[in-house]
Amino acid sequence: MTTITLAIPSKGRLMEATAELLAKAGFTIDRLGAERGYRGLLKGLDGVEIAFLSASEIAQNLRDGKVDLGVTGQDLLNEKIPPDDPHVELLVRLGFGPADVVVAVPECWLDVATMADLDEIAESFYERHGRRLRVATKYHNLTRRFFAEKGVTGYRIVESLGATEGAPAAGIAEIIVDITTTGSTLAANHLKILDDGVILKSCAVLAGRRAALADPRVVRLRELLSGIT
Amino acid sequence: MAGKSRAEREALEHQNTALMAVFERAGFDHIAPDIIQPADIFLERSGEDIRARTFVFTDPSGAEMCLRPDLTVPACRYHLSHANDPATERRYCYLGPAFRFPDELLSPQEFTQAGLEWFGAAKPRAAEARVLKLTISALEAAGLSRYRVTFGDLGLFSALLEDTDMPQRWRQRLRHHFWRPAAFRDLLDSFCAGRGARRTSISPLVDRVAEGDALALVEAEIAGRHLPLVGGRELAEIAARLSNKAADRQETPLARAKADTLNAYLAIAGEASGIDTAFAAIEGGARYEVARADYAQRLFEMEELGLNPRRFHFAAGFGRELEYYTGFTFQIEADTPHGPVAVAGGGRYDNLLSDMGSPVPVPAVGCAIHTDRLQAVLA
Repeated sequence: MTTITLAIPSKGRLMEATAELLAKAGFTIDRLGAERGYRGLLKGLDGVEIAFLSASEIAQNLRDGKVDLGVTGQDLLNEKIPPDDPHVELLVRLGFGPADVVVAVPECWLDVATMADLDEIAESFYERHGRRLRVATKYHNLTRRFFAEKGVTGYRIVESLGATEGAPAAGIAEIIVDITTTGSTLAANHLKILDDGVILKSCAVLAGRRAALADPRVVRLRELLSGIT
Repeated sequence: MAGKSRAEREALEHQNTALMAVFERAGFDHIAPDIIQPADIFLERSGEDIRARTFVFTDPSGAEMCLRPDLTVPACRYHLSHANDPATERRYCYLGPAFRFPDELLSPQEFTQAGLEWFGAAKPRAAEARVLKLTISALEAAGLSRYRVTFGDLGLFSALLEDTDMPQRWRQRLRHHFWRPAAFRDLLDSFCAGRGARRTSISPLVDRVAEGDALALVEAEIAGRHLPLVGGRELAEIAARLSNKAADRQETPLARAKADTLNAYLAIAGEASGIDTAFAAIEGGARYEVARADYAQRLFEMEELGLNPRRFHFAAGFGRELEYYTGFTFQIEADTPHGPVAVAGGGRYDNLLSDMGSPVPVPAVGCAIHTDRLQAVLA
């Protein structure tokens, strides 16, 4: 029987929580090769290889078929893989690493509470300033999908790879779409979340390729992890 | 497949020669608009959904350019740069590549579009019928025999909205949302709800604005909470919107029956030549009656050209996907064993040339044929 590959985050809080979860399920991870090798074996379930990847690459690796299963943030999974993707499916919400992907605007926009307000503003902003409202984010696809669903079209996305919450103050964008756990970073930057601006209530998830779902090892992992969370 | 073989290229060229011959014989001037276009017209006119699919790059001077995602805007730019008076009648046709990042339907990222644009036509209904006729003739000349025609008419909807009694700013917001059915319904409901409208996190502030001077309140609020002024909007703009919100509450709510009428109109669909009985059941005003007469006139013009509207389908909500259209819109789908495939579409877009800088209004109607898709259907 060929091996199947489970990708897990290679560092940080997500990696630790994943290792704990697997331990609770009765497995340990054997890293192969040098101390910090990027491959390992799942002890307790034969034929399962572990790939340590950066959390942001796991979704893409699933999509490309380079791994069969992966633990990653739901925000990263949904950003990279559309909800109706024929190849990859969210299997278990693991519960740890909770965070919301939200739309936030400057607090001084006293007249804006909802996405509908944002849509109205987008029109008048264009008429007054001759350019579109800008949204700073690293979540291009989540933003596009959510804004389209809410009927907001008159905006442009500007790429932001870090410190997104600083974009309005820096004059790079008017609006941000970012991930937040407590909202304190947003508050410190005088940004407020729109009433209906929660795009996703994210947490760590187990996702897998549909083609591998019938594999007994995948079935077992899925069962055990669903039971724990 | 990275490119076309000689046989594939020749087959597409052969088909497209047949399409273009129909347009050229009808007196449309075959032009070649630029492939590389300034990005802002596409991006600012279309918003993020098209931007997401447009190949944008920066030239050495820092200007944002793009590979055209469509040929209508490039044909308009050609017209504006060549015509002394943009409102003078001109008829153009074109054939050339357009570029879009593939969407989830896996459409190709470069494809060949054939089309025509008719600017400044004196008889609008006759021009619309003629554009539809030419599109159908071109498709038939290429060999398409089984297809269905669907059309809509944004003129009827605009007229009905104008005839419905409500503040002008409500109409503007509804028109803006025509393209988005769910948002449209929500907005309509909120106008019916009046003071009972759903409260939001800013409602308490709106309560206070209703009692006092909006700008003074906004200034006091910003100063009191030490809020930095970021986001590029002026306090006056923010105060004015709060005043509008307060004013909305004082307005007489929209009568439920009026909202139902708008929704009932948008639900109309059926065989195009028999649909007038459904239009008649809608209680509109004088403008609506004029738009109905326009619709009847268009059907008459179609018949004059030998088209049979009994074979066409009308849907009031059709055109909701296509933001720059202002009146007649149509789509032609090929019948295939795998279901209908859209191969051509078009319509009237009377505001686009003004939006692109024309000093005078220029009525415009056109069509575009997705030639690669057509070839795939005919293969």
